[in-house]
Amino acid sequence: MKKILSIVLALAMVLSMGVFASAASELAGEYDVTVWAPEAAVSLTEQQIADFNASNELGITINATVEPVSEADAASNMDTDVSAGADLFFFAQDQLSRMIKDGAVTKLGQGAAAFVTENNSAGSVLAAQSGEDYYAYPLTADNGYFMYYDKSVIPEEDVDSLEAIIADCEAAGKNFSYELENAWYNAGVFFGTGCHSDWSTEDNTNFTLDDDFNSENGLIAAKGIYKLVSSPIYVNSSNADFASGSAVVVTGTWNYATILEQLGDNFGVADLPSFEVDGQSYHLGSYNGCKLLGVKPQEDAVKGAALNQLAQYLTGAECQIARTVEFGWGPSNNEAAADESVTSNPALTALAEQSAFSVPQPNIPGPWWDIAKVITTDIKASDGSDAALQAALQKYEDSVGAASGITLVK
Amino acid sequence: MNNKHHMGLRTLNRVSNTAIYILLIIISVVWLIPFIFIVLQSFRVESTYQVGYVIPHQWGWQNYINLWNSDFKRWYLNTFIIALAAAVLVTVIQLCMSYTLSRFRFKLRGPLMRFMLILGMFPGMLTMIILYRVLSDLGLTQANAVPGLILVSVASSGMGYYVSKGFFDTIPKSLDEAARVDGATRAQVLYKIILPLSKPIVIYTILTAFMGPWGDYVFARYVAMGTSAGYNVAVGMYSWLTNDQIARMYTTFCAGGVIVAVPVTILFLCLQKYYVEGVTGGAVKG
Repeated sequence: MKKILSIVLALAMVLSMGVFASAASELAGEYDVTVWAPEAAVSLTEQQIADFNASNELGITINATVEPVSEADAASNMDTDVSAGADLFFFAQDQLSRMIKDGAVTKLGQGAAAFVTENNSAGSVLAAQSGEDYYAYPLTADNGYFMYYDKSVIPEEDVDSLEAIIADCEAAGKNFSYELENAWYNAGVFFGTGCHSDWSTEDNTNFTLDDDFNSENGLIAAKGIYKLVSSPIYVNSSNADFASGSAVVVTGTWNYATILEQLGDNFGVADLPSFEVDGQSYHLGSYNGCKLLGVKPQEDAVKGAALNQLAQYLTGAECQIARTVEFGWGPSNNEAAADESVTSNPALTALAEQSAFSVPQPNIPGPWWDIAKVITTDIKASDGSDAALQAALQKYEDSVGAASGITLVK
Repeated sequence: MNNKHHMGLRTLNRVSNTAIYILLIIISVVWLIPFIFIVLQSFRVESTYQVGYVIPHQWGWQNYINLWNSDFKRWYLNTFIIALAAAVLVTVIQLCMSYTLSRFRFKLRGPLMRFMLILGMFPGMLTMIILYRVLSDLGLTQANAVPGLILVSVASSGMGYYVSKGFFDTIPKSLDEAARVDGATRAQVLYKIILPLSKPIVIYTILTAFMGPWGDYVFARYVAMGTSAGYNVAVGMYSWLTNDQIARMYTTFCAGGVIVAVPVTILFLCLQKYYVEGVTGGAVKG
């Protein structure tokens, strides 16, 4: 009798365990996690993680410590010590190759990669990619720039013409802020005249660059740059400068709220203007980039899987819309991009208009940015003659050719 | 004629004095502009971003209130603890070291001094990575950055003995001997004879030991590595200067700059008195 009872009891125990196991999942459990998010987003991220804990059906509970670390600093912190780095972190896409080299980001599995490619805009998917693999979850697709202007200085009919805007600024004694001595901005001018800059890498150490900045089209771009930088009203800045004498600032969504406050009723925003060379018009181009969410490789595979679940939740439509509403960040998620909060935001609308002329920012090594920004410095110092501009482009090509880790093909 | 010549000299003196004063005034104005600018900006409350004017349109304490409500308190306390601990420990260690090398004669004295001289020639930056590893293994990074940074500032302080040893060497040994004859111990000689005669050098040691960690950025950033609780003021305030933060935090940053300058200014004002006293006191006795 006792034997039978013990068998029955044992059976009941096993069965009940089976029932519980299927109700929860193999990911169920508590996980201590550190997250790096930009200071402004810390409290929202904490809230979103709490929502994830309450809503996920897998039984995952995340005990998160959210530290304020700017997206710009994530890679330099990871360079120091990956083991002490956060498990989940926001970072700007240009740091992806450093992250991969540091071993700070997990290669996404098939399911996660499909989540990224199916739900996000093409440019942001490209940003998370290295070779054939994906290494991060797109978080925003708003790392691009466009033009804010003061309506009391620049009339509506002038906003499409760089020459007219420069004339308006000169007449009013106001500045034109455009950070052309930064390769992220000056490369856009080259894209506007039909130049290309294609990057590829196998190992994130050696990069191959296929570009034609030193060409006829490149010379046209150089002439366009000279038009602005040779004017006394040119200021090399992308800050919200309207309170310090600028009537035009080329910058991104991160300055939207500040500029709106500075300009009030005179707030104007548009895609970048066109410039004219030899009777032909060229629309200024730009880079558009993303912010990504990285997951650090974990010794405990189960924790890694749970973190990937959290990452997918944080980069899903609902969380991205919440960030748009709170900070005006432009979503990478397709469903979120169609949301009313996005389409009604003037800065994001201008960014969308500019996107027709923008190039998705690929995985570019650090030294290139330092080499390419000198193009503008040289153009500014030149007399604007074709020979001088050509010399600046030749110098760029020579410098890229001599840079270690970059192979230039034409 | 003579009188005329005299007048000419006086005029010349007056002209050259005026010229010198004008130059000095210009230099001090140029020198003070950034400080005045930061103080004024820290009281500007009509906006938080950079503007093209200096005098605030609206004055207020809001930026200081923002500071109080941010992590700044923690960063400030961290920095203060590190700097204070370093100032005390480094001064004690360095002065003891200098006294030993100045007054004692032992077999390894020469080789030890040469060894430290050579060791000191390696740039400190070289040790950064290995120091980080050591601290990290001891668990003294990130949230525990404060004891870690104290350890680092104090660890090699004995090697900075040159200046104070040089000063101690100029104090006649006969003073020590007289005190020893009267029954003073070695320690008493240091505290009662040498140190009172060396005020300038003691003050100098305290000041440099305090200022080092107070303004440290590079190593402090490494050690804190993205953990706000371990930041010092320099690292913490720098994190407000990113693209997406500066428009919101600029005036608060200026307020932080003012608060950071306060203890250093007080320290200099207080110690300067002793510094001057020490120098002149020494001169009269000499």
